[in-house]
Amino acid sequence: MKKKVIGLIDGQSGNIGSINKAIKEIIKGRPYQLKIIRGEFDYSLFNKIILPGQGAYATLISNLKKLKIYKPLKIYLENNCSYLGICVGMQILSDQGYEERTTKGLGIIAGEIKKFKSKKLIIPHMGWNSIRLKKEDSIITNNLDNKDFYFVHSYIFQNINKSNVLANTHYGKKFPSIIKKGNIYGVQFHPEKSHKYGLNLIKNYILK
Amino acid sequence: MLKTRIIPCLDVIKNKVVKGVNFKNIKVMGNAVEMARYYSLSGADELCMLDINASYQNRKTFIKTVEAIAKVINIPLTVGGGVSGLDDITDLLNAGADKVSINSAAVKNPKLIRQASLKHGSQCIVVAIDGKRHENRMKVVVKGGREITKKELIVWAKQVQSLGAGEILMTSMDTDGVQNGFDSSMLKKVTSNVSIPVIASGGVGNLEHFYLGHLTKSTGLLAASVFHSGKYKIKSVKKYLKNKGVPVRL
Repeated sequence: MKKKVIGLIDGQSGNIGSINKAIKEIIKGRPYQLKIIRGEFDYSLFNKIILPGQGAYATLISNLKKLKIYKPLKIYLENNCSYLGICVGMQILSDQGYEERTTKGLGIIAGEIKKFKSKKLIIPHMGWNSIRLKKEDSIITNNLDNKDFYFVHSYIFQNINKSNVLANTHYGKKFPSIIKKGNIYGVQFHPEKSHKYGLNLIKNYILK
Repeated sequence: MLKTRIIPCLDVIKNKVVKGVNFKNIKVMGNAVEMARYYSLSGADELCMLDINASYQNRKTFIKTVEAIAKVINIPLTVGGGVSGLDDITDLLNAGADKVSINSAAVKNPKLIRQASLKHGSQCIVVAIDGKRHENRMKVVVKGGREITKKELIVWAKQVQSLGAGEILMTSMDTDGVQNGFDSSMLKKVTSNVSIPVIASGGVGNLEHFYLGHLTKSTGLLAASVFHSGKYKIKSVKKYLKNKGVPVRL
């Protein structure tokens, strides 16, 4: 049987150690192989691609361009191929971001990335917060509703079409914490640092 | 709702967790990797580890310990102690730290905070501040409290925020190590003057101390001895806090 290929993009935006470790644990003994993407790649070779990101929106976009990952990734996504974006890896699916400077995103899921507004809030939103499931899905099953995941971010996905939201989280106000369009997923939290429920989500994404 | 984080802190020499009051009478509490694994499994929200004897010789073993710990836990890991420049930060992040904490190097060279947060993102730059009362003022101290700097605590806290720190790890040298509770007045002063998360550190001895720490608006509560000695399990601290109406992850 031909092994399914999982691509993990190293966009030089935070370390990929934890997610790398999580994927390896999940695919151990299963017909999958993991390839790290560090530069230009042939998107037709991948069944699923995961992009974890930390830091600024503008930095990640410019890193992806510099590394020649941006173009093949955009074509991959425009063809509705399976993707999981984590934190900034989710945010860059939007049309535009405003962190550091206004930057055009991949334009896959309509919306913009703007800073939490309230002056009373402690920013970044850092720590464990629960998600409220709107729609059950293969990656986010009912047993993960209301569970806590680890967040670290100051910017949120705004002006998103409600049909693209699978789960929301509340911090000062409600914001989308899991989004989906076709086969393309984004999570605002870090499942790779979110203990067993986080691993559960990554496992659902990879195996289903 | 955002949960209050309970953070065990490992003071490490090479690969051993140690406990010593003011660097004297250092006692080995256990193997760092084993203890980290245990805390991750038993409900810690995050883990903090500090190289408390960052000599050139010990550093290599310490970095290896960070790598080993990052492999066995799946919660965020903050690493500090002996961070003197950008290269140290990169080394620790590469070893698997999610956040790096800078202390005296930032006091000496505040620009380091700006450089580090531009390079790696604010979210992974923690500035550890040691505070102490001196002639009726709250001052920043270094070298484990032995050296009082000219910096006013609150001025410095605001400055590290504006330089791009993502979080402050606030230790009061007036309460650290004596288990009489966090320094509530110092912590309140800091949390009311910054808008980034503050982790309270120094002085936890009983359950109520955790609750009082929460009341200071610190979003993370750090403790060492009460966990290492086995006096409290993380779960029991969280259950206690939950009964008091504090949001925790159980």
